[in-house]
Amino acid sequence: MEEHKTLLALFEDLDPTAAAIERLRKLGIPDDQMNVISGIPVTEAMLGRPRQWSNVPRLALGGSLGGFLVGAFLAFGAPLLYPIHVGGQALIPIPPSIVVLFELTMLGMLVSTFIGVFLDSYFPSYRPKEYLPEISDGKIGILFQCPQQKQAQIVLALKKLGAESVAPAEARQL
Amino acid sequence: MSNPLEEVGHKWGMVIDQDLCTGCQACVTACAMENNIAFVGEQDAAYGRSLQWIRVERFWEGEFPEVKSTPFQPVLCQQCGQAPCEPVCPVYASVHSENQQINIQVYNRCVGTRYCANNCPYQARVFNWRDYREPGPLDNALNPDVTVRRRGIMEKCTFCVQRIVQGEDTARAEGRQMADGEVVPACAQACPTEAIVFGRLDDPDSLVSRLKRDGRAVQLLEELGTQPSVTYLKGGSSYGRNG
Amino acid sequence: MAATAKPIAPATHEEHAESRQHLMLDPRPRGEMNAMVMESMHTTSWKFWGIAFLLGIVVLVCLFLAWGYMISEGLGVAGVNRPAYWGIFLVNTVFWIGISHAGTFVSALLRVFKAEFRRPFTRAAELMTTFGLIQAGLSIFMHMGRVWLSYWLAPYPNARGLWPNFHSPLAWDFLAINTYLLASTMYLFLPLIPDLAMARDRSTGWRKVVYRVLALGFRGTEGEWAHLRTAMNIFAFAILPVMFSVHTIVAWDFAAASRPGWSSTIFGPYFVVGALHSGVAAVAMVLVVVRGTMKNMKYFIRAEHFDAIGKLMLVISMGWAYFFFNDYLVQWYGGDHWTHTLLAWHESGPLAWIWGLMLVCNVAVPWFLLWNRKIRSRPGWMFVIGLLINVGMWCERYVIIPISLTINRMPFTWQSYRPGIEIVLGIGTLAFFILLYMLASRLVPLVPVWEVQEGQMAHSLRKFGRKTVVSVSELE
Repeated sequence: MEEHKTLLALFEDLDPTAAAIERLRKLGIPDDQMNVISGIPVTEAMLGRPRQWSNVPRLALGGSLGGFLVGAFLAFGAPLLYPIHVGGQALIPIPPSIVVLFELTMLGMLVSTFIGVFLDSYFPSYRPKEYLPEISDGKIGILFQCPQQKQAQIVLALKKLGAESVAPAEARQL
Repeated sequence: MSNPLEEVGHKWGMVIDQDLCTGCQACVTACAMENNIAFVGEQDAAYGRSLQWIRVERFWEGEFPEVKSTPFQPVLCQQCGQAPCEPVCPVYASVHSENQQINIQVYNRCVGTRYCANNCPYQARVFNWRDYREPGPLDNALNPDVTVRRRGIMEKCTFCVQRIVQGEDTARAEGRQMADGEVVPACAQACPTEAIVFGRLDDPDSLVSRLKRDGRAVQLLEELGTQPSVTYLKGGSSYGRNG
Repeated sequence: MAATAKPIAPATHEEHAESRQHLMLDPRPRGEMNAMVMESMHTTSWKFWGIAFLLGIVVLVCLFLAWGYMISEGLGVAGVNRPAYWGIFLVNTVFWIGISHAGTFVSALLRVFKAEFRRPFTRAAELMTTFGLIQAGLSIFMHMGRVWLSYWLAPYPNARGLWPNFHSPLAWDFLAINTYLLASTMYLFLPLIPDLAMARDRSTGWRKVVYRVLALGFRGTEGEWAHLRTAMNIFAFAILPVMFSVHTIVAWDFAAASRPGWSSTIFGPYFVVGALHSGVAAVAMVLVVVRGTMKNMKYFIRAEHFDAIGKLMLVISMGWAYFFFNDYLVQWYGGDHWTHTLLAWHESGPLAWIWGLMLVCNVAVPWFLLWNRKIRSRPGWMFVIGLLINVGMWCERYVIIPISLTINRMPFTWQSYRPGIEIVLGIGTLAFFILLYMLASRLVPLVPVWEVQEGQMAHSLRKFGRKTVVSVSELE
């Protein structure tokens, strides 16, 4: 088993970052051992990275289904638990039920979307993490695992491509 | 879920003969005493906050001195068959009673949104704007059969439901049918000209049913389709007309 | 310059100066923008604290003390009576819900349609949504006769075995307003996370602790951004129908009632447009204040933004006039006796000046002034116009609620409405809104820096023949 080290390379601009990712891949670092950290949403396509999988849309769908079911209970179930007649209207009138169904479906969708971000991103997590504050100043960081014996070669290659710094990443309290 | 005690179902109704009404306000007074209705004082009463469950309306027509008065019109909750006040209450404080076919206000449920009052085309609902205290010695004359309402609650005419229930219970206990005229609400009881008649509309032979078929019968704001349980009799001439 | 596409150099000096007027074409390094936003958050003067202190006292006295007094005495200390069962409390409720619509409108609708001018002030508008909804909620609770039982509107299994009555528009309101409050707060928070992380990276002391907790450990990894972007897209689309539903249901509170003047099928969209009218005007006012009083904001909020908001205000004002006239004409044509009485009461009753003021402020002022680009670009003018529109929209709600309630089908009960303590409480909610906003402006990065930087990346100049024009790239 080889020794692996986590390195963090900082770049100023998009193009060198994309080139560096390409180079890392050629040097034998697979995509799943790299991660890009940025202060603006840099899309995967810009850097030639595989598309990120997100569960958020599925969770939103599930949440809206859940919300719909809660709404259906309130609109169609609750009146049966304690039937009260008002204003000559049906016990379970359809038009008001549509309002209830709509609001609770949307509520379920939006709440689960929000929770989905937490679940997918493992928020909140206050453990120390590999990070540099320069990233929120607009720098782009590539975080990658590299075999110890290749480290010198990779650092040199990245510096050549315009990396501001390539250093062993330390987990620090954010 | 049939409760044998609640099996009786009647449709109660009222007829008010405007040609007989003298506008004496006895009904208003009797109603206040029977139903523990609070006195709001001069200031609030003048500002449209009096807690009358029944009011006697009268208008002047024309310019002074050529004025004429319209017939007196006692207005109370019309106990609608399709009451606009009921569906708008978010907490089911205004509901339809299946047994008496009247409109019930459940004081304990009321949170005071006052939507029912806005939606009542007859403006028959009144609101407890404050905790009104009865001036002594009237605070010793409260009717034990009727709840005292606190501030923030909507209230309105109940057709003296406490008397209806008592009448029904008595008849059931004695194992007989109720007689016509056995239950009389306070306003009808106090009316010196018997202009207010109360009874069962589901019994075609009751006095109230027969009067309802009178040619003079009209209902307030009939065009709204609220199906009121109160019918007015209004003819060409009248004793009550003082103009 | 970090991570930006390099725009081509403008050909002439004039073109250069012209393009630099646009925030999106006047990029600064991200670090500098971060520092500017941080500085604007940290800078407070004695004036700021003096005003905050005064507002705090107003909130204490006019909101909490006055409300406590009203709760203990009953609604008799307010001006509501029969037949004006609903008064200024509901006027304020509708008004504040209207204000709250602007945030979502600016942020979600403009995001969906990729209107670039939104970028620097989405957050400033979203904050108005959350704080406006708080005031709307307070106003609705003030209105209730037994506010201590207001939780009975919530659907939950309870000892009474009773569920809310979903036949009632008020029960829909409860669901819609709560959905909107939750959704808009989440929608405020999601795009805030990267900015909170930015603030965390450059804070010390108690601020560091607060931002560390709120930033949830965000670093900006690919996954975090992807989930955030997906969620913000879902929110931008889904929150719009929720926003429309909220004010439509508020309108149904009136339209569903069987009253002259209220039973109108057009009230839903009419109210939504009215909400946007006051809301967008309020955004303009807030931006004028933010720009004038906070450090570095003149860089982020510029004449071009007021110009764009002014155009929106003009269009919305036309929309409002259209709906108003539509409602008016059909009511007038219907020939119903009570409706005619009501219209006459609006136009020539003792409070006809409120009706007139409404039309002047909502229609005449924007139509006569906002067509002019010079006026639209001047913050001072925009503040005054925004204020007038808000006065006009408040008048509109006053006409619809207490003035219209005076007239019903039982003339015996007609009675004018004289406001009482609700004026004091209304001032309390206004002060509370301003106070919350002031405090938030020093705690929350008011400009979404990453969105501005993203926009600046997407903008470049392109040459078409001899003319250099702005071009926007779609990055997503």
